[in-house]
Amino acid sequence: MMLRARNIYKSYGSLEVLKNVTIECHTGKIYGLIGANGTGKTTLFRILLGLIKQDSGRIEIDSHGIKPIGGIVEKPALYGYLSAYENLKVFAQIQGLKLTKELFHQSMQQVGLSTARTDAVNNYSLGMKQRLGLAVALLNNPACIVLDEPFSGLDPMGIFALHELIKELSGKKQITVIISSHIISELTDLCDTLYILNKGEIIKSGAAAQLLEESVTTYKIVGKNLERSEVMKKVNAVILDKSALVSSKNIGISEVLKELIEEGMEVSSCIPQTDLKALFGPE
Amino acid sequence: MAPNNMISLVGAEIYKIRKQSKTLYALAAILIIEGFVIVSAYYQGAGIIDLLLDNLKDSFEFKGNLLNGNLIIYLILNSLWFHIPLILMIIISGFLTSEYKDKTIETVMLQPVSKLNFILSKYVVSIAFTIFIVLLLAVSTFLVSYWIFGRGDLVVYLDGLNFFKSDDAFNRLILAFLSGVNSMVFFSVVSLTLAVILKDATKTWIVSAIFLICSNLLLKIDFQNEILNELFFSKLTDSWQYFFYYKIPYATIYFKNLLLLSYTVFIMLIGVIIFKRRDIQG
Repeated sequence: MMLRARNIYKSYGSLEVLKNVTIECHTGKIYGLIGANGTGKTTLFRILLGLIKQDSGRIEIDSHGIKPIGGIVEKPALYGYLSAYENLKVFAQIQGLKLTKELFHQSMQQVGLSTARTDAVNNYSLGMKQRLGLAVALLNNPACIVLDEPFSGLDPMGIFALHELIKELSGKKQITVIISSHIISELTDLCDTLYILNKGEIIKSGAAAQLLEESVTTYKIVGKNLERSEVMKKVNAVILDKSALVSSKNIGISEVLKELIEEGMEVSSCIPQTDLKALFGPE
Repeated sequence: MAPNNMISLVGAEIYKIRKQSKTLYALAAILIIEGFVIVSAYYQGAGIIDLLLDNLKDSFEFKGNLLNGNLIIYLILNSLWFHIPLILMIIISGFLTSEYKDKTIETVMLQPVSKLNFILSKYVVSIAFTIFIVLLLAVSTFLVSYWIFGRGDLVVYLDGLNFFKSDDAFNRLILAFLSGVNSMVFFSVVSLTLAVILKDATKTWIVSAIFLICSNLLLKIDFQNEILNELFFSKLTDSWQYFFYYKIPYATIYFKNLLLLSYTVFIMLIGVIIFKRRDIQG
């Protein structure tokens, strides 16, 4: 076990933000923390990172490195008036690390940033700041990194690039990664394990694929002339423009697809729709 | 926690200060104020000389020019104790409030850095910056005043007219500046502690300005209580004036400066304790 947070409680006055939260993370795996806004994800991350103290509960990190855990909370906070090199220099210096040219190039290369830019970080896009923030988080080789809403504000290319980077850190460098998001699709392909946080409590946890499968109650079938299909009528599908929503409650989706094809319908895709209520629990 | 030494933290703080354009603006502001004070000191000095010596001129013969660099430096000294602490308080509180505003304090605290060392490094750099500014002011004031107005004997009205030979005046002015460093450091440390408590730049500036104004007002007020008049912090920030009595009361100066230093350390300790206990949230 690389990181274990046990029975974490945190309140602000009468507001209970975290209630008996327990998570366990293994080396080199990617963990996702999903929850709507205001469910306590950032508070839990702040506690894991040591920025705030929990009211009760224990955090155990099995790492003996100088920096057991690194991360980014909300948006990457960097010195905007400094260049990328100067930012890395300052953050390296405060932790007793000398930023050599090799280390600078290695750090920038690791997160896919060019070393050529010498202008202030204020001029960087959010995606570039995320990458530089990650480079800062990775200084001194932490065994675990925590990324709070890392995809927020990124364009699709930025999201894809960050996905690849996180996979690489986990796969090649065996770094444990914990990511939070309120957008499920951002974590489905990425995470090995998901924790669902609702109103400060972990309500579900398990293998990402299995949890998501359990929460899929509807499929979006895209195809031609679906409104004419007898099968669609039989399963009470909701017909939309060039697509239909089919509930998987009464009949398996594979059966529906088979019958559609037998009927001569042209189906171009079938997309599982996650039921947020099923995933996050009741409001 | 990882080993992090104060030297690295202090070095990083100095690096950040050097790289911020607002530091240059602050230095420029201080030097501009100094320029205005020199001009006003010249006109003020001419008036004071006329006023003080009007009667004496009938009975005594004065050789040389009493409106000289030493008088100008003395008048500058008198004028600086509000403007400079105010600017210093704004700059120094900004060393911390800007970290809260930009949330960089979170990124710093996500590195293996102890909260104690971090806040101590802020205090160390604030004190060093204050000393640097006062020394810069002292050197520039002496250079400009002597260059433009030349050297000469100093006349000061402090419980009566006091005349000092040029060399003696020079030494007293230097000692006054050095004593003034202690007062400036006190105000700087207060502003950083206020920044620890309030976190927000505007709130800290307002409270710092109120603190400075109240300190200056309280300095002039007689509390009708010997202990308060001797020991209250606001009564300790003008020790530099004592260097312009004929017989310098060194014991009083040492006592006042040591007591003010104790206040400074106490206020710093409050800041350190609050910072250590609080959660880090930008």
